[in-house]
Amino acid sequence: MSRDPEQAERLRVDFCGLDFQTPIVLLSGCVGFGDEYTRVVGFSHAEVGAVCLKGTTAQPRLGNPPHRVYETPAGMLNAIGLQNPGVDHVVEEILPTLDFTETRFIANVSGSTIEEYVRVTERFDDSPIDAIEINISCPNVKAGGVAFGNDPDMSARVVEACRKVTRKPLITKLSPNQTDIAENARRCIEAGTDAFAAINTLMGMAIDIESRTPVLGNDQGGLSGPAIKPVALLKVHQVYQVARPHGIPIIGQGGVTTPEDAIEFLIAGATAVGVGTALFYDPLVCRTINDGILDYLDRHGLATVGQLTGTLVRNDEGTCCA
Amino acid sequence: MLAPHRNPIHAEFGEILCHHEHPGGQYLLRVMAPACAAVAEPGQFAHIRVTPERPMRRPLSLLRAAPGEGWVEFLYKVVGEGTALLAGRQPGDFLDLLGPIGRPFQPHPEHPRQLLVGGGVGIPPILFLAERIREREEGTPVVFMGSELPFPFLTTPSALPVPGLPEETDLALQWMEDLGIASRLASRVPRPGVHRGLVTELARDWLAAQHPDHLREVEIFACGPHPMLAAVAELAREFGVPCQVSLEEFMACGVGGCAGCAVPVNTPEGPAMKRVCVDGPVFEAREVFGP
Ligand SMILES: Cc1cc2nc3c(=O)[nH]c(=O)nc-3n(C[C@H](O)[C@H](O)[C@H](O)COP(=O)(O)O)c2cc1C
Ligand code: FES
Repeated sequence: MSRDPEQAERLRVDFCGLDFQTPIVLLSGCVGFGDEYTRVVGFSHAEVGAVCLKGTTAQPRLGNPPHRVYETPAGMLNAIGLQNPGVDHVVEEILPTLDFTETRFIANVSGSTIEEYVRVTERFDDSPIDAIEINISCPNVKAGGVAFGNDPDMSARVVEACRKVTRKPLITKLSPNQTDIAENARRCIEAGTDAFAAINTLMGMAIDIESRTPVLGNDQGGLSGPAIKPVALLKVHQVYQVARPHGIPIIGQGGVTTPEDAIEFLIAGATAVGVGTALFYDPLVCRTINDGILDYLDRHGLATVGQLTGTLVRNDEGTCCA
Repeated sequence: MLAPHRNPIHAEFGEILCHHEHPGGQYLLRVMAPACAAVAEPGQFAHIRVTPERPMRRPLSLLRAAPGEGWVEFLYKVVGEGTALLAGRQPGDFLDLLGPIGRPFQPHPEHPRQLLVGGGVGIPPILFLAERIREREEGTPVVFMGSELPFPFLTTPSALPVPGLPEETDLALQWMEDLGIASRLASRVPRPGVHRGLVTELARDWLAAQHPDHLREVEIFACGPHPMLAAVAELAREFGVPCQVSLEEFMACGVGGCAGCAVPVNTPEGPAMKRVCVDGPVFEAREVFGP
C-alpha cells in the first residue's frame, strides 16, 4: 500500500544533495547487500531514504568465528568481523543487481590501513553508488576500524585521504567509544567530510559463566539496540553543535525502534535516522516509523520532517514553542 | 549439491491454537499462520517473537505444517529465557512469527531409502520430513530418534521390522507407525523397547545390515546436537552414502541480512562462512564436516 503523494512529500529530505524519499536509512551490516529483506512480504524500499551496504574491504574477508551475535538486555552484541566478498565483487557483481530507482544506496568502506580505505573508496567512486560512508568505528576487527575512529588525528587522515579520491558525498561514521566526539567531528569536517553518521556500536562483552569463556567468538563485540539510544542521542546532539554551522547533515542512529525514537534523533539534530537492530525485531518497522512521524508533524503543525531537525530547546534556553 | 531455496518470507500474527506441556520442559505449540503453512518445507524454521516485551526473535524448527487448515506446529524445549517466556503464552494469545525460512531437506529420487536421524530438539524436522516423504511417495524412510527425555509422543510396539536391530528394540512412534514408517528410539535412560545407548548406534546397525544394492539408494538426513551430527557424518563417510545435516546457531535477523549466524564450511572454492538462516540450516554433511 503506498502513501498518498502529498503525505509522502512531507517525509522527503535532502541529504548532501541526495534526495531521500524518507528520513530512514537502513544501517550497514543489518541488511546485507540490499536484497535480503526484499524477500519479506510487505517490506519495501519505498519506505527508506537510503540503504547502507555491508562494510566492504579491499580483499574478501571471512569474518569472525561463531558465535557472532548475542542478545543482551534491550539490545544485542555482534562481532561479525566485516565478512564481505571484497570491493571488486561488490562493484562488479552486486551493484548491477540493485534497483537504483527504488532508493539510494550507500557504500560502507572499511580497511586496516589508510591505503586500504583509499583503494576501496576509489573503486566505489567509479560505480553507480550514491554516497560513500567511511566506517572508522568498527569494533570487531584487529586493525583499523575503531582504532582509527578513536584517534582524531587518524580519523582526519583517513577522511582526508578518501576525500582526494572521490567527489561523491562522503559520510564519516563516528565511534561512541572515544572521549571527545565533537573534537573528532571538527577534525573530520576540516578534512573534508560532507556528512556524519553517529553512532556506531559501543564496545561490549558477554561471558558464559559455566565455561568461563566469552560468548562471542571474537571475545568482544559491538552493542546496539535500545540500550544505546541515550548515549547515541547525546552524541548526535554534541556532533550537531559542531556540524550545524557548516550545514553538514547527520544520520542519527543507535537503538531506533519506534517513531518516537526517530523523532528524538531528529530533534537532537539528525537530518536522517538510521534503523538497524530494530529490523531484526520487526522487518516491517520502517512503515510504522514513517507513519508515526507524519502523525507527529500533524500534531505539531509542521509541514515537513526537515523542519524538525535540530529543534531541541535546551532547558537554559527557555520553554518549548508549540 | 543442494539447491539454494529462496521462498518469500511472511510476517504473520497468528493465534495460538494449542500449547501443551510434556515432561522435561517440552512444549507442543500450534499457531495459525496460513501463509507460512502453505509453503513450509521440512528443515525450515520460523523466527518467533516470544513475547511483545522481548523483541529479539528465536528460531524454532517446524514440526508440521497443515496447508489446508493454515496452522504450523513446533516442538521445543525450555532451554533459556526466551523459550521460558514462550512457554508462558496461552491458547488465544497471538504470536508474531516470520517464516518459513531456510533451505529445507532435499530428498533425491535416486536415493529412495531415507535414513532419518534426530536427536533431542532436533527430532521435530525429522518427523516433518518423514511425513512429507510418505505423502509425496518419495521413498521408504526409516526414522531413529535419540532423547534423554520422555518422548512427547504416543508410542507403540512396532509391527514394522527394522533390519539390523534386535527384536526387543521394538518401540515406535504411533504417528510414524500409522503412516507405515518404521521408527525406533534410543536413550541412555533404560526404557522397555528402547535401545539403551546412542541414536547413532541404531543408524550404524541399520546401515551395516543393508544389502550393497540397497546401500547405494540410501541418503541420510540428520538434525540434533553437533556431536551427534559429527558422528552421523562419519557414518555417512564410512558407508559411502550422501548425508544432509541441519545446523543451529544464534541468530539476529533470521533473513540473511546480518551474517550473525554464519558458520565455517568447506566449498569447492575453499573455506567459506555460510549463514545458517538462509544458506542453511540444511547443509551437505561434507560441507560442514569435510569429505
Ligand atoms: C549485526 C550488525 C552488523 C553491523 N555491521 C556494520 C558494518 O559492517 N559497518 C558499519 O559501519 N556498521 C555496522 N554495524 C553498526 C550499525 O550500522 C549501526 O551503526 C549500529 O548497530 C547502531 O544502530 P542500531 O542500534 O539501530 O542497530 C553493525 C551492526 C550490527 C547489529
Ligand atoms: S541471522 Fe542474520 S544472517 Fe542469519
